[in-house]
This record gives sequence, C-alpha cells and structure tokens, in this order.
Amino acid sequence: MSSHTSTGKELVPLDVSVHAKPKRFTIAKLRSWIRRPWIALKLRWQRHLIYRTVISTLLFTTLALLAAGAFLSNQIASTLYDERVSQISKESERGLTQARSILESASTTDRASTQALVNSTLASLEGDGATVVRDFVLMPIAGDQSLYVGPMASGSLTTRVIPQDLAESVAGEQGIYWRSVELGSADQAQPGLVVGTKVLIPPGREYGLYLVYDLSSVQDTLEFINRALSFTGLILLVVVGFVAWSVARTVVRPVADAAYASERIASGDLDRRMKVEGKDEVARLGTAFNHMAQSLQEQITQLNNLSAMQQRFVSDVSHELRTPLTTVRMAAEVIHDAREDFDPLTSRSAELMYNQIERFQHLLNDLLEVSRFDAGVAVLDRESTDLNSIARKVVDTATPVADDYGSIIRLSAPAEGCVAEVDPRRVERIIRNLVLNAVEHGESNPIDITIAENHSAVAVTVRDYGIGMSEEATQHVFDRFWRADPARKRTTGGSGLGLSISMEDTRLHEGRLEAWGKPGVGSVFRLTLPKAEDHEIDSSPLPLEPAISEAILNTVGDSFPLTGEVPKIGYTPLILTSETEEDDDVTDPQNSSSESKKERN
Amino acid sequence: MKARILVVDDDEALSEMIGIVLQNDGFDAAFCYEGSGALEAFREFNPDLVLLDLMLPGIDGIEVCKQIRAESDVPVVMLTAKSDTADVVRGLESGADDYVPKPFKPAELVARVRARLRPNETHAAETLQVGEVSIDVAGHQVTRNNQAVSLTPLEFDLLVTMARKPKQVFSREQLLEAVWGYRHAADTRLVNVHVQRLRSKIELDPEKPQIIQTVRGVGYKAGSAS
Repeated sequence: MSSHTSTGKELVPLDVSVHAKPKRFTIAKLRSWIRRPWIALKLRWQRHLIYRTVISTLLFTTLALLAAGAFLSNQIASTLYDERVSQISKESERGLTQARSILESASTTDRASTQALVNSTLASLEGDGATVVRDFVLMPIAGDQSLYVGPMASGSLTTRVIPQDLAESVAGEQGIYWRSVELGSADQAQPGLVVGTKVLIPPGREYGLYLVYDLSSVQDTLEFINRALSFTGLILLVVVGFVAWSVARTVVRPVADAAYASERIASGDLDRRMKVEGKDEVARLGTAFNHMAQSLQEQITQLNNLSAMQQRFVSDVSHELRTPLTTVRMAAEVIHDAREDFDPLTSRSAELMYNQIERFQHLLNDLLEVSRFDAGVAVLDRESTDLNSIARKVVDTATPVADDYGSIIRLSAPAEGCVAEVDPRRVERIIRNLVLNAVEHGESNPIDITIAENHSAVAVTVRDYGIGMSEEATQHVFDRFWRADPARKRTTGGSGLGLSISMEDTRLHEGRLEAWGKPGVGSVFRLTLPKAEDHEIDSSPLPLEPAISEAILNTVGDSFPLTGEVPKIGYTPLILTSETEEDDDVTDPQNSSSESKKERN
Repeated sequence: MKARILVVDDDEALSEMIGIVLQNDGFDAAFCYEGSGALEAFREFNPDLVLLDLMLPGIDGIEVCKQIRAESDVPVVMLTAKSDTADVVRGLESGADDYVPKPFKPAELVARVRARLRPNETHAAETLQVGEVSIDVAGHQVTRNNQAVSLTPLEFDLLVTMARKPKQVFSREQLLEAVWGYRHAADTRLVNVHVQRLRSKIELDPEKPQIIQTVRGVGYKAGSAS
C-alpha cells in the first residue's frame, strides 16, 4: 500500500480507490489528531447528563446575567450622569450669569484694576456655593491685542481643554453651552463637563468664560457599581451552577443507579436491587424498578426450575423405564427363542415384538444420552487413544449391517497409528454413528473411512457414494429427529438422534463435525478433534470435499480449512408440514431452517 | 452340581425374569429384594455368584458390595440402570468384578455369569515371578517378599495373564477378552479400575507402579523394575 502512496500522484490514477485510499488515510489521521480531545469532550457530553445540564445551565445563566448587568449598569450610569448634568447646569448657569453681570457692569478702565476684578470674580466663582468641584477657564474670543486681561485658568488647567466647537458656539449667539470632555492626560483620562458663555470684560472685549467640572467621582461610583454587579453575578453563577449540579445529581444518580442495576441484572446478577430512600418520585422509580426486577427474577427462576425439572424428568423417565424394559426384553427373548413351537401368526408376532423392543431400547438409550447433554452432566473421559483401533472396532461391529446392505467398508489409516487424548467411548460412538449412517444411505456402494493427523488435530472422514444430500440438508443433518426426506421410510430403525448425539460428543471434545453432500454423488462427514485437551485446532488434516480427497489420500500431515465455528446445538423443535409429502424437498418451515443456520454461524 | 446365584434386585418382576432365564440355563437362583437383607441372604444361600442391582432400597448396591467383599471373594456382577461413568466406576471400585447395564439381553447376562463362574483351569504346578511378587498359579497364592497378598479370583486372573508374558504389552481389549471373557468391545474402564485395585494390593507405591506398568496409548504390561 505504501508504495502506492509515494507514486500515486505522478501516475495516471487507473484505479481511483487504490490511490485515494492512502490520501484519505492521512487526512483522517490529521482529523483524528485534532478531533481526539474534542471527541473526548463530546463523549463526556453525550454520556453524562449531569455535564450537559450543568454546562448548559451555566451558559444560559451567564448570558442572562451579562444582559441584566449591562442593562443595569447602563441605566445607573445614564441616571447618575443626567442627574449630575442637570445639577451642574443649574449651578453653572447661576455662577456664570452672576460672573457675567459683575464683569459687564464693571467700570474699571485700567489693566490692573480690571485684572483684580476679574481675579476676584473668578475666584469667587471657583469656590463659591458649588456642590461640585469646579475650575474655570477664561479665554479671549477674538484675536484682539489690546487686552487688559489675558487668558486665565485655575488649577492645572489650560485653555486647551476647551473643545474647538464649544468655543465656536460660545463665540456665536449669546447663551450657555456645554460639552462632555476628557480631562487630564490621554492615558489618565477622566470624564468632565465644560460649561461656557460669552462675557464682556473692559474695555469691552469678548471673552469665553468656561466652568470645568470634574466628573471622575461619578465615574468612580459607576465603576464601583459595576464591580459590585460583576461580583454579585459571579456569586449567582456559582450558586446557580451548584444548584443545577445538585438537582441534576439527585435526578441523575437514581437513573444511573437504575441503569447500572439493569446492566447487572441483564448480565445475570438477578439479586441486584436499587437502594430506595424517602417517598418521592425517585423513590417510586426505585420501588417500581425493584418490583420489576423481583418479578423478572421469579419468572426466570421459575423457567429455570421448569427446564431443570423437565430435564430431570426425561432423565428419570429413561431410568425408570429401564428396569421394566429389561424384564420385557428378556421375556420377549424367551418367547422369541421358543417361537418355533407357536403357530405362524403368534410366531411372527413374537418376532415383531422382539425387534421393536430392540428399537425401543435404542431410542431410550439415545434419549437418555440427549437428556444428559441437555442437563450439562456429560463429561469427557480422556485417555490416549489410537483412532485406528477404534475405527477397526467400528468396522467390525458395522460389517454385519453393511453386509445386509451389500456395502463393503474400506479403512485407510496411517500405518504408525493415530493417537490422541480423547474419550474413546464417545469417539467410537461418533464414528459408529457416521458409518451406520453412511451404510444406510450408501445405496450398496462402498464406504470409505479415512484417518489422518496433523500438528494439532486428528481427523476421520466417512464417505459414501450413495444418495447424497443437498447443501441445505448438510446444515440440518445434525438436528434432532431430522430426516432428509420425510417420505423415505425408516429402514434401520435408527432413533433419529444418532448424528445429533455425535455432534454433542464432538462439541464436548471442542472438535468439529462437518458434513458435505451432493445429491446423487454421495456425502462426506468429517470429524476433527484436537490432539489433546488444550490444543486448539486451526485446520483439519483431511479435506471435507471429496474432489481433493482422492488426490491426496496418501499424503499425511496436510492441513485443510475448517468450516465456521464450533456449532452450538440444542433442541430446535422441528415442525414437519406433512409426513406424506412426496417431493424431495426439505419440508421443515423457513423459520426453523434460518434459526438453525444462525445457530451454526 | 448347579451353580448357585443370588439375585439382589428390588424389582420383583425383573428378579423373577432373571430367575427364569438362569434356571433355563441350568443355574440355581435365590432372590433378595432389599439391600439391608442382602448380606444375610448371602450368608444363608452361600452363592457362587451375586447379581447385584446398584439402586436398592435400604442399603445401596455399592454398600452391599463392600459388605460382601469384606468377607468373601465370590464374584459380584452389578446390574446398573445408570451407565454414568461415576456410578459404574464407584461400583467397580467397591469390589464388583463386572457389570451388565440395563436393559440387557438374556444371552448377555448368562454370558457374563458364565465368564465369572468359569472354572479355573487346573494348572500345572507353575510359579511366576514379577519383580518382588511371586505367584503360585496352582495354589492360587500370591506373595510379595514372602508376605501373602489376598487377591480376588478376577485380580488373580488379571495378574497371571500379564505375568505369563512379561514385557508383552496387553491392550485393554485383549485383557477384557482374556480375563473377563468379552468376545467383542466392552467398557475398558473395567480394566482401568481393576488394574488400580490390583496395584493397590501388590505395588509398593501404587502411584509409581513397578509390577503393572502403563504403556501410554496402548495398555499395560507386567515388568520388574530391574
């Protein structure tokens, strides 16, 4: 892949997907780099209701507080300012009018006396009767040279604080004008107000007289109020956040508890309950939950008991039936042995009874075996076993049956033996069932048994060249009481449990039992078992499909794939649509087949 | 003289049926329907063989088997309705020689009975030696370091069979045929359990057997440690 990445851009992209892939990969990597912390946060946000509640509450509260604070601050500022301005305008009006009238009515004619008059007037103006500290600025309007009095200012002020446009207004129409200004240097600017009017000072020269108010106290008040507001807002935010957190917690915690308890119950801890405190809604949730858990537990326990009881019952019935069956069987045999002394009808009846008791006993044995599997009491009895000798034993016992069918059984096994740690009785039963099944469906053709081993497993295949089976049938052959063709009559009188018992035996060994078939060609059953208890099998020494099987019959030690997982089998109830249906198709309904497929996957 | 067989089974119909079959084959049968009376019946009837049901009211079959073993080496064949490993093994360990799982065929039962009653061939004076164990075949005597070891007839047969061909490995199936008289496949646990019992009597350390050695994957052989 990496070689594609480097050359991808120079080449004509014949295959877009190949070249696009590495590129997408790097982008994705980059994106994940950026995204990782974001995703962590998002996860937290998605997983925890409490985070979501607290964070969104804080967010909205902050917004609301900011809006309220801004509004309040603004209101207070403008009210304070307006009030101050109206106060100032009254005071300044009075002061200015007074000063003007003094100055205009002055009759001084020389520079010194005029200067003295102006000084005293302005000095009184500065201090006199004003609630707000004020300064004055006196500035001649026109550029006249013959002035008795030059520009003056109190405190640290200069004429420069007077804005140009105010000076122009004052120079124009007679009246009192005001402007907001900034006092002090640029970096320590303080709000101020300048009120000005035109005055005449001997010898009839026009001046602008300005009163300068320092509003920094208003600013200080405003700043104090703003600080108080912010502090209050902050405290409110913390309190609201805490309240949201604790409310969310009281609500979320029982929900989280309930979720946890549900998870525990779902995973089998049926005794898990929620803690219930008080009588509120949360307590009601707890009580209801516990009630539900209780009734669930009762039902599950009841079901478990029922199922255990049923298994016990099947097992007990099988056991109880054995003693009378033994008596009946012995009696039948005694009668059967003496049948030559009877009339033909009674004699035949004795034969029928004898044969059917035999069959009945097989069925009972198989049922008991199945009930043992279902109850989970079947245990493995492992010992070192040579599969060859087991197979030979099976061939010996199956030969009489095969003779009846006209089949011969051929065994192909490695000369040096094939030893594995298995339960010999179970393995013998598996092979015997497979061989008898092959004989039954082999149409008088030979039956081939092949044994082989590889590093981890031993395998036995049983092949027949008979009627074979469809692929669908291979999925059902291990079902209990399953018959490939319901219309086919039973000939060997098998219980219909043989192959499913074989499957259970295989499962106990943690091995595999697989089937292959082709209608008209024949079928193959392959048993693969691990060599020892803890060996895991990853392949089978023998192929399942016969096409390869013949070619490699002599090679030993090869590996062939296993199909699927170790199948789980239990009882899938089989509903036959009609026993008398004549077509060759499998007649069990769709749902049952899909269900067993699922189980095998 | 007819061989005498004691049938201990709580099912009267089955007991009667077994009696019919046994009498048919020329045996003499007596019955006992409960475990608690079994030992008394055994002493009274003095049978040549006991057929013992495993599940009995009163005292169960395993306990009865232990009681009988405590005072006699008479062959005991269990009748079991359970073929579970644990029950069969427990029965064999308590001293039973063989078992017949229910439901059984009359011929099967009779074959098992006959195999256990098989008269010991009259042996020529023969002494076998395996390690420190010496066997007087004709006198049915086993001694280890000049100390007599008491074996049941079955254990004796098992030991003699293997001691006669030292170093030869016997498969469990071969032993089943030679000692128990099974013609075809049977439960190899019979061999396992009785080999254990035999070892516990003749081996110095049954955990590390020297006389009867296990050959993995094949079976057993008799061999001296030397």
